Amino acid sequence: MKRKDIYTLGVLFILTILTALFSNLENIKYVAFIILALSGIKFLFVAFQFMELKKAHALWKGLIIGLIVFFIGAISLIVQ
Amino acid sequence: MSTAKIDYKNIYYPPGGILIWILIFLELITFSAALIALAVYSRENPAAYHSSRLLLNSTYGAINTLFLLTSGFFMATSMHQLKAGNYDKSTFYLKLTMLGGVLFLILKAIEYSGKISHGLTIGYDTFFTFYWLLTLFHVIHVLVGMIILVSMYFSIKKKKENTSIEDAEAGATFWHMCDLIWLILFPVLYLIF
Repeated sequence: MKRKDIYTLGVLFILTILTALFSNLENIKYVAFIILALSGIKFLFVAFQFMELKKAHALWKGLIIGLIVFFIGAISLIVQ
Repeated sequence: MSTAKIDYKNIYYPPGGILIWILIFLELITFSAALIALAVYSRENPAAYHSSRLLLNSTYGAINTLFLLTSGFFMATSMHQLKAGNYDKSTFYLKLTMLGGVLFLILKAIEYSGKISHGLTIGYDTFFTFYWLLTLFHVIHVLVGMIILVSMYFSIKKKKENTSIEDAEAGATFWHMCDLIWLILFPVLYLIF
């Protein structure tokens, strides 16, 4: 087992728990954005670490970051 | 097993291969578009969407997230072992990967049966139409991923000469794609409305 992968899994678990905690806070402004941003970070951890996208050409990294940023931005703007 | 060195920095050879990454982007764009459409529809009647969202069990969703993330971790570990030529360890972690997928599907089946028994079927309202279409489409991906993993398992077990590291990486990348799709589905369907 690679130590970096173990740390990544730990961070992903913590982010999932944080997401669950934030989802119970209904009176906080931008809670939807915070939940989506936390999920976006998890998304990038999986793509870059587990899928080894960190080793890929910058184009692929840019495309995946661009896609998730666009998605979070669009949903946040529509829902707020 | 072919373990030729692959230059991942080459634009045409991302880990898993260019075709699987084109597929991943198409899938992610499709799911993203559907989720954006769901968000747009929710503006017509936010209260109804909030009520419907509360009928979902977010604990199931969170546990399923943990199952898929852990499964993805074992998939990555299995690939590291495969590249190191440790076939037995690779198949062991592959079995753990599949266990994660099976647990995900069992919990999803429990969730679905609960929804059906309460009459929350695909025609209940617009929110549930999106819920069923998107989650079932994702479940189909997980099932296809499981078939690929089983195929990979037997291929590695037999140490077939014609199984390349690129093929195994493509299968692993498909499995990780199921994680990625779930990571955008879960917050939008279960948490934000």
